[in-house]
Amino acid sequence: MGRYILRRTLQAIPLLFLMTIAMFVLIHLLPGGPDQVLFNPHQTAAAKAQLRASLGLDDPAPVQYVKWVTSALTGNFGYSFNTNEPVTTVISRAFPNTLELFGAALLLALVIAILLGVISGVKQGTATDYGLTILAYAGIAMPVFLLGLLVDDIFGVALKWFPTSGTSSVAVTFTNPFSAFVDHLWYLVLPMTVLAIAFIAGWSRYLRSSMIETVKQDYMRTARAKGVGPVSLLFRHALRNALIPLITVVALDFGSVAGGAAITEGVFAWHGMGLLFLDSLGRRDYPVLIAMLMIGAVFVIVFNLLADILYGVMDPRIRYS
Amino acid sequence: MGEYLLEVQDLKTYFKVKAGRVRAVNGVSFAVKPGEKVGVVGESGCGKSVTALSIMRLLPQPAGEYAGGSVLFDDQDLLDVSEKEMRKIRGAKIGMIFQDPMTCLNPTMPIGKQIGEALRIHLKLDKDEAQKRAISLLDQVGIPAATERINSYPHQFSGGMRQRVMIAIALACNPKLLIADEPTTALDVTVQAQILELINGVCSEFGTAVILITHDLGVVAGMTDRVIVMYAGKVMETATTDELFANPVHPYTLGLLASVPRLDEQRHSQLKTIEGSPPDLVKPPTGCPFMPRCAFARAICRTMPSLDPVAGTSSHLKACWVDVTDPKEQAYAERRRQARLERMQAAMKDVVLTSEEK
Amino acid sequence: MDISERLNLNSATEEEVEPYLEIVTELVEKRRSQGRIIFDRFVRNRTAIVGAAFIIFLFLFCFAGPLIWRIDPNLNNVLDVNSTLAPPTIAHPFGTDDVGRDTMARFMSGGRVSLLVGLTSMLMSLVFGISIGAIAGYYGGIIDNILMRFTDVILSVPLYLLLFVLSASFTDGTPKSVIILIALFGWTYAARLVRGEFLALKEREFILASRTIGAKDFRLMFRHILPNAAGPIIVNATLLIGINIILESVLSYFNFGIKPPDASWGNMISTGQVLFALDPWLILFPAAGIFLTVLCLNLVGDGLRDALDPYMTER
Repeated sequence: MGRYILRRTLQAIPLLFLMTIAMFVLIHLLPGGPDQVLFNPHQTAAAKAQLRASLGLDDPAPVQYVKWVTSALTGNFGYSFNTNEPVTTVISRAFPNTLELFGAALLLALVIAILLGVISGVKQGTATDYGLTILAYAGIAMPVFLLGLLVDDIFGVALKWFPTSGTSSVAVTFTNPFSAFVDHLWYLVLPMTVLAIAFIAGWSRYLRSSMIETVKQDYMRTARAKGVGPVSLLFRHALRNALIPLITVVALDFGSVAGGAAITEGVFAWHGMGLLFLDSLGRRDYPVLIAMLMIGAVFVIVFNLLADILYGVMDPRIRYS
Repeated sequence: MGEYLLEVQDLKTYFKVKAGRVRAVNGVSFAVKPGEKVGVVGESGCGKSVTALSIMRLLPQPAGEYAGGSVLFDDQDLLDVSEKEMRKIRGAKIGMIFQDPMTCLNPTMPIGKQIGEALRIHLKLDKDEAQKRAISLLDQVGIPAATERINSYPHQFSGGMRQRVMIAIALACNPKLLIADEPTTALDVTVQAQILELINGVCSEFGTAVILITHDLGVVAGMTDRVIVMYAGKVMETATTDELFANPVHPYTLGLLASVPRLDEQRHSQLKTIEGSPPDLVKPPTGCPFMPRCAFARAICRTMPSLDPVAGTSSHLKACWVDVTDPKEQAYAERRRQARLERMQAAMKDVVLTSEEK
Repeated sequence: MDISERLNLNSATEEEVEPYLEIVTELVEKRRSQGRIIFDRFVRNRTAIVGAAFIIFLFLFCFAGPLIWRIDPNLNNVLDVNSTLAPPTIAHPFGTDDVGRDTMARFMSGGRVSLLVGLTSMLMSLVFGISIGAIAGYYGGIIDNILMRFTDVILSVPLYLLLFVLSASFTDGTPKSVIILIALFGWTYAARLVRGEFLALKEREFILASRTIGAKDFRLMFRHILPNAAGPIIVNATLLIGINIILESVLSYFNFGIKPPDASWGNMISTGQVLFALDPWLILFPAAGIFLTVLCLNLVGDGLRDALDPYMTER
């Protein structure tokens, strides 16, 4: 197992390296080139000259790249044009909200997707299955922003059940930290649900077909021939095996989940990294944008690595090969 | 309890498909005495495996349908008992081995756990006891270093070893009956004999009755007391193994025996086959299902003969109108075989011509 | 055997009728072509047919509709209070927007853009994907390694975020620029698919056979290997149209895609959402356009997948 993890980790390193090159190229391609990306328009000429020297913008490209990567590795992504703060400060302020939305939606999506996938897989061909199939098709065809918009307009604007945007009530001071937390959760409900729904459809469909495929396997018949009861049959034998391919699908979708989170944050004005990204985009605040792209890519690579490791844990055939 | 451990009477098992019902098992009757080893032979799709799965009530639902008959086991009709009762029988009183050991073991569960599962369900052993028993079972089925291998996963074993694990699973609770459904078909030839030997040995030791399902007559010859020949969901002939091989009396059995390649035959002679293919079981012929392929067939074959004792014996039964030992009948069959060969050559010629025209 | 002998034997048969002795029937049976089988299977899938029919209808509606519905999508009518933000009427079946433009005419022109973006960027993506996949799979080795690592990099950067940045920086808000941008990132799946197929097939006997008779690389790649991957590519192409339509609408919704005066379903929703409380119809029609198009494309794609699946038994 240790060797398997090590091998996977080593395989991820060249990918990270190539990714930084791609980002570096992107910086040079952007309108205005690196000057535009790296220099704060509010900076004084002296400060610019100093930065130019430290980044070596007159050096040949490979030297520039090394300097840029080393500064990025030490967490120095430059300064936001908008607030003049270091990019890391700006991003880390938005990070907790995104983590919260992302984590909550991911958990909700996985739980419901597994539940629905198992139900429709086991009840294949029944009215329940057809109902869930129709819902899943609708869910897959519905873009996140459109779903967010409709949910926001229906449950927020029209029915007023939930707040329409933001992360917490403004102009209300909570003396009790618990009620502040509840208030915050109240704001989380709609964006979390929207982001979760966007992935429940696809994942539950996938688990459904994986379940149907697994139930047909010969070892399920062996288990029944041993006298294994229905509950143990479903969870210990079927679900355990059916979940394995889902891991890969979920891992491959992490990029889309990140994108979906950004869009959801945009629709619901959730003060996280996604909204920061869209704001920065409107202002062409390139240091922030580039840093976020890199963080996004690193995040996807790391999560794919984790998924690979989880895959190894779940499937002994991978672990020991 | 009577003389028999298992009595299958007029079993009918159908599958619902779009085109109608596949009559996979269509009125099968046979009985197995305690400790007896019975072989069931026939070509693929003749209903042997479905018969076995019907006894275990393991047919895929809702497609499979037990349409009639009874399966008496230990004075209980297995087709009547509740699913809960049935679960107490599966694995405890009847064990089963399947064809492909590559796919029959759960790939994500250590084999020790897979063996222990039946022990924990039926004998209510705790984890450690089950593990201990699993080790001794592995030892019994001839897996070396059982203690170390107990936590291995199926993919770490070879096909033959996996089939040994399957045998350990099936025999874990010391069942009265073992159903082995083509246990050696998917294995290397060199391993086949070892596995049969193992099944034979272990079952003789425990006094376990065996139903051995196979398409390979050689397998049956080696280890069974009695043979049942099935075709198109019906029993065609049944006799003690020695009797069946010495005096086969059903045209289908004759065909099966003739199609076994023999070493003492001339090297370049054509392999003998039974021409044609089994009937469509959605719309089976009203008479004898073998009639369309049978060289001995007569008009009377349009009604199905019953399974009756052959003259002069009590345990040798056949379902056929014709007396294949009669030389007149043999001449008739030979002439019809020749005529068919010519018709087929003519048909082939047409096909070749039309494809050349294109 | 002599014929006279046979006749002789025949005459000697017993009075009983001889039942017909079966001969091998498959030899005589007429076979359907592979394409015909696939077509028949697809046609039998009712939901897929409904999906296909709706897509065709929508294409006709958006592209041929303006021939009948001759209202200019950009014609304002601000002065007449009655014809701004109007709900659906006979004069304006989809209603009008805040400046009195006819929503149906705008739906058609927006639909043309959305469908065109979906279709053309799919075609371009396929050309990229097939070429890259074919080259990587056919030549293997270092070329394969470079191309596939490149694909991995693109796959690891969150697509939406990358598209946002590039769209905001490089596109000028015309459909053409958005099409190219989307096409530049939609090829990864097709490339992997084609590469896999090439890797699997290039060592197979029939390819070696054509190589031995001196077929050139190009001919081998596109005449002999590629057709084997046609099924999955067609399915992927169908789904890709839907994905592209969604990408376009997301970009346009956040104002980084197609910009007015060009209408697309995405920017119609973007402009309509502020007026949702006053006139929900404004976003309802373009939203339904996107939703139904993508839904039907998925239905068609799944139908094709089932029809092309060689493991599906013919019933």
